[in-house]
Amino acid sequence: MLFDMSKLVQIFSSRRTWAWPYVLFMVLFVVLPLILVGVYAFTDINGNFTIRNFAKFFTHSEAIQAFLYSVMIAVFNTVICLLIGYPAAYIMAQEDFRTPKVMAMLFILPMWINFLLRTVATVELFNMCGLPLGEGALLFGLCYDYLPFMIYPIYNTLQKMDNSLVEAAQDLGANRWVCFWKIIVPLSMPGVYSGIVMVFMPTVSTFAIAELLTHNNIKLFGSLIQDYITTTDLLNYGAVLSLVLLIIIGLTSFFGDHDSASGEKGGLV
Amino acid sequence: MRRLLVIGYLSLVICLPIFAQSNLTYALKVGTTGEVQLLQEFPESYAGEKVNVKVQCTEYNVHGIDSLDFVFADQPLAITDKFDSIYSYTDAADVQWAVWQNKKEIKNRGQKVLRDNAYKTFVEYVHANTAVAKRSRGWIWWVFAGLLLLGTAAYGGYIVWSRRKEKELSSVEQETLRRKRMGNRRHYGSQLYLWLLLLVLYAPIALIAVFSFTKSKILGNWTGFSMDLYVNLFTGKADAGLNSAIWYTVVIALIAAVCSTLLGTLAAIGIYNMRARSRKAVSLLNSVPMINPDIITGISLFLLFVALGMSQGLATVCIAHVVFCTPYVVLSVLPRLSRMNPNTYEAALDLGATPAQALRMVMLPELWPGMLSGFILALTLSVDDFGVTFFTKGSGGLETLSTFIYSDARKGGLTPELRPLFTIILLVMLIALIVINIRNNKQKK
Repeated sequence: MLFDMSKLVQIFSSRRTWAWPYVLFMVLFVVLPLILVGVYAFTDINGNFTIRNFAKFFTHSEAIQAFLYSVMIAVFNTVICLLIGYPAAYIMAQEDFRTPKVMAMLFILPMWINFLLRTVATVELFNMCGLPLGEGALLFGLCYDYLPFMIYPIYNTLQKMDNSLVEAAQDLGANRWVCFWKIIVPLSMPGVYSGIVMVFMPTVSTFAIAELLTHNNIKLFGSLIQDYITTTDLLNYGAVLSLVLLIIIGLTSFFGDHDSASGEKGGLV
Repeated sequence: MRRLLVIGYLSLVICLPIFAQSNLTYALKVGTTGEVQLLQEFPESYAGEKVNVKVQCTEYNVHGIDSLDFVFADQPLAITDKFDSIYSYTDAADVQWAVWQNKKEIKNRGQKVLRDNAYKTFVEYVHANTAVAKRSRGWIWWVFAGLLLLGTAAYGGYIVWSRRKEKELSSVEQETLRRKRMGNRRHYGSQLYLWLLLLVLYAPIALIAVFSFTKSKILGNWTGFSMDLYVNLFTGKADAGLNSAIWYTVVIALIAAVCSTLLGTLAAIGIYNMRARSRKAVSLLNSVPMINPDIITGISLFLLFVALGMSQGLATVCIAHVVFCTPYVVLSVLPRLSRMNPNTYEAALDLGATPAQALRMVMLPELWPGMLSGFILALTLSVDDFGVTFFTKGSGGLETLSTFIYSDARKGGLTPELRPLFTIILLVMLIALIVINIRNNKQKK
């Protein structure tokens, strides 16, 4: 007994073991649940193995339509955010721009208001202006919610960029346009990638925003999953849909540099 | 000074069209057959004008609020076909199907619910709470145009006047002045872009802030200045659901932040001392919850709790919040570790300190700033979270602010006290930002 105690003390005085509780916690509450999504997708309501849920997905036109539509909306939203956000980040990163920090803060500040409340306010704004709710409102709302996620990483990379490269290009005779496309854009690509990942992933999986912005007339994939997973009898089918979403997320994070993206998210909040 | 004047003038002019419309709000009642009655009479002068009726459905509403325009003379108003986009169902399972089968015949396990049926039940649940008569004042648009023209003319005149002496300068000096101005103007263009973007970003928030000073239940309906909502919020007279939601949000955020800070700091120390390969593996594990969107984290945890047979409530929400907060704590503590001298801890042990003592007296003072920023980050993430909470809160009536707002918005209206609450949060954040900014500037100098 005494021997055991001293060994225990020895183990825990090695700081390497201090991460064990965390690893255990993560395996139990992150890895295991993700595996469970797969398990539920391949079982029926009584827990027997089945692939009928998958067959249902491939014949369920509503779900496939919602899926394609969500991906399309997410792509559109990402492109719009990029087109609006890149110039903003570029302007803020200019050397003669006097108050970049204040401006960056002003762009981040709205995120402190609960996004659902902002969405409801957006709906009211549309009502007040007499604009119809629908696809346009949806895109506006999504872009409104995720624009800071695009501006911030691009601004960060642009700001860290070595300005002497631009000057060198100008000395060598490049005009502003060439300089922008050949020097600044390639150098800012890491920021653009993490911006794309940070906008695309939440948009493709969004569920509450779409419901509020379109009065539930447009069904995104996230809302569909929500409906099924919260209905006890249809839980297994919901797991299939989640698995499909998980695959999309996996693919996106495989293409994007997820380490920097998650780091940026931390910096943003 | 000149810039301030221009901005002030422009914002004044831009605000003008808001007054171009005035609204009169009236209470309404819905009869059993679906007709809508006015509880007060419209003044004569409003005859023939458009009346916008907002109708709200409380039970299982798919559409929440709907509105319909009537002309004043058409009293009594009646709910017509236009409202059939609102469904109501008595069976929760039907709602699930109705939601995605939207506006079609609904088939659910052999049971057929037709549109007419739905309409009948809808009438029982609906209540119309306001009618808004809109009257527009056309002349304000003329004033708007006039002021805009006047402003432009005044500004042009000012520029001509301020440059009257330039003609006497040499051509070289004129050229340098022109160049300088061109540079400035380019700057103005890009500044304008940013400010326009900010204007759009802040418009909904401004709406919340402005309408926190009126008593009206519906956002966007001004019924005169009043501080009642603020008073209600602070004296606890607000909706009981809102009070408990605020309470739960604070409790959950504190528990989650404390737990994740402790767990994350220990983990960071462990990870830092690991061999390269296992460190890489744990870092990968650490980044998984950060990459996962809310809905996936929420659903996977929901499935885990279902599989384990755990009843969902405060405990499960706290666990879920610790799951997505801790990685950020780890990330904010790790840089601190790599900055400190790794030998001090060993030195403390050699000098006879127990590991606990060494941790408390040597490590903690060094790691403190990282832990604090991790703690604040965790608080923010926890308060802000919706997706994960939604799936792990269970059906026991536990609501945080986010889920409360969601269920509120689904019902068709927001609890009015939410407006002052978030106005205050915004103000506090704004002041904090300004203070931090001033402090940074002072440090620079």
